[in-house]
Amino acid sequence: MKNPPRFADLLLELFCAPHLLEEVQGDLYERYVRDVRQLGVAKANQKYILNVLGFLRPFAIKRQSSEYSSPEYRTTFFLSPVMLRNYLKTAVRNLTKHRVSTLINLFGLTLGVTACLVIYVITNYELSYDTFHPDSERIYRLVGEAQFGPTGEKHPVGFPPNAVPLALRQEVSGIETIAAFHSVESDVLIPNGSQKPKRFESRRRTGGNADIIVAEPQYFDILKYEWLAGNPKTALNDPFKVVLSEQKAHKYFGDLPLEQILGKEVIYVDSVRVSVAGIVKDWSQPTDFTFTDFISFATIRASQLKREINLDQWNDIWSASQALVKLPKGVTPDQLAVPFQQFSRNHIQKEVKFEPGLQPLSDLHFNDDYQDNYSRKAHLPTLYGLMAVAGFILLIAAINFINLATAQSVQRAKEVGIRKVMGSSRKGLIIQFLSETALLTLVSVLIALALIKPILSVFQTLTPNGLTFDLLSAQTLLFLGIVVLTTSLLAGFYPSWVLSSYVPALTLKGQSALTGGQKGYLRKGLIIFQFAVSLVFIIGTLMVGRQLNFMRNKDLGFSTDAIIEVNTLRDDKSLVLAQKIKQLAGVERVAMQWFPVMGQSHMVTKLKYKGKKEVEMDVSAKIGDENFIPLYQLRFLAGRNYMKSDSLREMVINATYAKALGFKRPADAVNQFIDFQGKPYPIVGVVADFHEQSFHEKIGAVFLGYMPRQAKNIGVKLATKGGQLSDLKTTLSSIEQQWKEVYPDNKFDYTFLDESIAKLYEKEQKTAQLVNTATAIAILISCMGLFGLATFTAEQRTKEIGVRKVLGASVASIVGLLSKDFLKLVFIALVIASPIAWWAMNQWLKDFAYKIDLDWWVFALAGLMAITIALFTVGFQSIKAALVNPVKSLRSE
Amino acid sequence: MKRTYLGEFEEIVLLTVAVLHESAYGVAITDELDRQTGRSVSISAVHAALHRLEEKGMLKSAMGEATAERGGRRKRLFTVTALGSRALHDIRAMRDQLWSSISPNALPAISI
Repeated sequence: MKNPPRFADLLLELFCAPHLLEEVQGDLYERYVRDVRQLGVAKANQKYILNVLGFLRPFAIKRQSSEYSSPEYRTTFFLSPVMLRNYLKTAVRNLTKHRVSTLINLFGLTLGVTACLVIYVITNYELSYDTFHPDSERIYRLVGEAQFGPTGEKHPVGFPPNAVPLALRQEVSGIETIAAFHSVESDVLIPNGSQKPKRFESRRRTGGNADIIVAEPQYFDILKYEWLAGNPKTALNDPFKVVLSEQKAHKYFGDLPLEQILGKEVIYVDSVRVSVAGIVKDWSQPTDFTFTDFISFATIRASQLKREINLDQWNDIWSASQALVKLPKGVTPDQLAVPFQQFSRNHIQKEVKFEPGLQPLSDLHFNDDYQDNYSRKAHLPTLYGLMAVAGFILLIAAINFINLATAQSVQRAKEVGIRKVMGSSRKGLIIQFLSETALLTLVSVLIALALIKPILSVFQTLTPNGLTFDLLSAQTLLFLGIVVLTTSLLAGFYPSWVLSSYVPALTLKGQSALTGGQKGYLRKGLIIFQFAVSLVFIIGTLMVGRQLNFMRNKDLGFSTDAIIEVNTLRDDKSLVLAQKIKQLAGVERVAMQWFPVMGQSHMVTKLKYKGKKEVEMDVSAKIGDENFIPLYQLRFLAGRNYMKSDSLREMVINATYAKALGFKRPADAVNQFIDFQGKPYPIVGVVADFHEQSFHEKIGAVFLGYMPRQAKNIGVKLATKGGQLSDLKTTLSSIEQQWKEVYPDNKFDYTFLDESIAKLYEKEQKTAQLVNTATAIAILISCMGLFGLATFTAEQRTKEIGVRKVLGASVASIVGLLSKDFLKLVFIALVIASPIAWWAMNQWLKDFAYKIDLDWWVFALAGLMAITIALFTVGFQSIKAALVNPVKSLRSE
Repeated sequence: MKRTYLGEFEEIVLLTVAVLHESAYGVAITDELDRQTGRSVSISAVHAALHRLEEKGMLKSAMGEATAERGGRRKRLFTVTALGSRALHDIRAMRDQLWSSISPNALPAISI
């Protein structure tokens, strides 16, 4: 007989009150049978659907059975308190009964939830940067595109020429407020009566957040601060005024009441004396605007600051120059594009062409293109990667639950049968099984909450500086709620669906036969998925580790051994210090330099070569005295080092530059002339290429020369003969003594070259740590799942193993039998994971100019590792099962 | 006289239940309605009316036997209660009384 459409039936079963369902469905069936006879199947189906929809009426939907329905139809509502108590009780009993799988699940879920929570705290912190300002969607930063010279390349810059913000205010309409400010790095002096003034060192030396800016009064119109003292309207109007943040004011003046701090004197840049005109409260939310000292803008023209900040400058740009813009309601940055182009045409400069643009405030924390010298950039792809990692780990944990629950479902079939016979509905059963998952998830969330603080302090190097979090905020609680809900549904829905579908007549008869689709394909698929994820992580770990190793060990083209850089104040006293250091025992060589040969700082300038054809290009400058090249042991390919001199006389270039200039052999370049700032200089030598930047960048053209005005830092090569750590320490402390004699007020500041080079790869180090952690967690959880399954299968097949042994099977063959299935799955996982990992690692390696190859053996090694781990987990259980005496396993029936 | 109000459709359904005597259930009533009055009504409308009549106490019901054409499901058989019977009689008496009060020429003749 033809059946009516299944979905319509399901719909009816869903909404129709249980006590009415039988008669209604019966009537509909009867009518359907007649319709099929009279009108044909298609018409009948149509009518059936319409009839079902016709029952969408209050009387049919209303649940409560009224007094007329016979008692046989009364069931307890599946959400009544009695049932809820029963669900909870059964859940606790079941969880305590199956201790191993409960522990595995709890452990996995806890790891997963903890990883999720940690990553949530981090990403939430990063994404909340500068989102708290009122009208933040209307606040922009003035950025732009700069082009140096008519032929130069256009590139984005995060800072306009000094004169631009002031001119924009007058010439371009459609901007509500514009506020220029300049960041300043200087020591701060607080006059202290007749005694020596108190000195607070500049952040250049202490490495803190950017703190001092010279700001227009409009700055406070755009970014809102809470004023604790002083008049917000007039505080920054006059020259020689400063507004401090509350914390900074207390740092400078101790615990004086704020009102008394007003009017006190502060000295910036040695001699700019300003008085405190206001005090504002520090922001508590995450922000890139970490400034605490706001000097009035009018001070620039009135003081010696005008030598550092030329407000009429159009033809150069400085990263200290900044401006914020607030647009009126309803105005988009696109509307200003045309006026900005016009503005740029009106102010064409010979040296620099600058076209203004606007960067949304929300972009400031993430966009690397627009550099400045105060914001800390977060890497968005990394954040998204983190979220994906969290999701995958939680998924793996949920899969463990699904696998163990479905594997054990046979044992619970009887329970389901009895419950159904006693009148439990399918909904009731599903709720009951889900409540077990929910209970587990809840417990793991509680454990995760207890763990998060210690974990965050352990992983401090991985978390952003200043990370703060509030576990009891509404947002966090909402997140936890969502985690509990999705995890319980993810982990619990499928098992409960399967369990509740058992037919009582079959299960109670004692047949534990698995119904269709239950041959474990899903379980196998999930194990493959788990191991594929783990394998991707393993391959990632291996690759990232290899690349880091490669960067650490590759020949850089110069020596990094026992070289330190002493960061002086870049004044003439540094020469004195260099002389003193030179005389110390334990110092092999001393060079005056601008920066070391490799590091974060590098400067590019334009050089011109007038040979057969003129070549003008950007060349990186390495500035140091005649000891510079020997100190770093750069290798000469031709010519010689430049002679000792008191100004730039001669140059040495690298092989890449020589090649770019068209010389076939390095020696051909020697004695040619190169124009720098309009004057020709002879090339006296060519050195072999060396790395001057991180491995992300290709080696470019470089020249080396001595410029006394720049070369004010000191590079020191320490003697390492018979090299012992204590020797280095005594040498360092004697250098420090010399420093104290020359700079009594400042802290001795030095870095080891290899350390500062390692710093170039801070991000990669973090990635490596992260991938390692993720791998460890993923493998751990997957293996626990596998362990649970293996335990279970071994238990199930006790009898089979016994019979096999009686018939003469060896222990090895039984172990093989039990392990084979799992190994096959791991192998399939490897096949799936390899291309994914290959693609992901390719993406990551793209950023490097110098990188390792993606060798096939890495994939093979990862596979081998996974198989070994799997074998180890499964093998333990298999061997245990295989060693059992068959007498024991076959004795009882 | 205070009595429960019966809608026109409810009245017809109640009468049909009486007509079918002990074999009145959803589909049968729908079919009988169709046959006797030519009104094609949906099963759900009939169920709703039966439900309301039962709530008003004019019908009582019991589960009947299952048949194969219903997919093994039982039907709910309805019978008219004393209250239902009383209501039907009242309505009929009122109608008769009204008819007898109409003077012979008051209604326009229906042309044939």
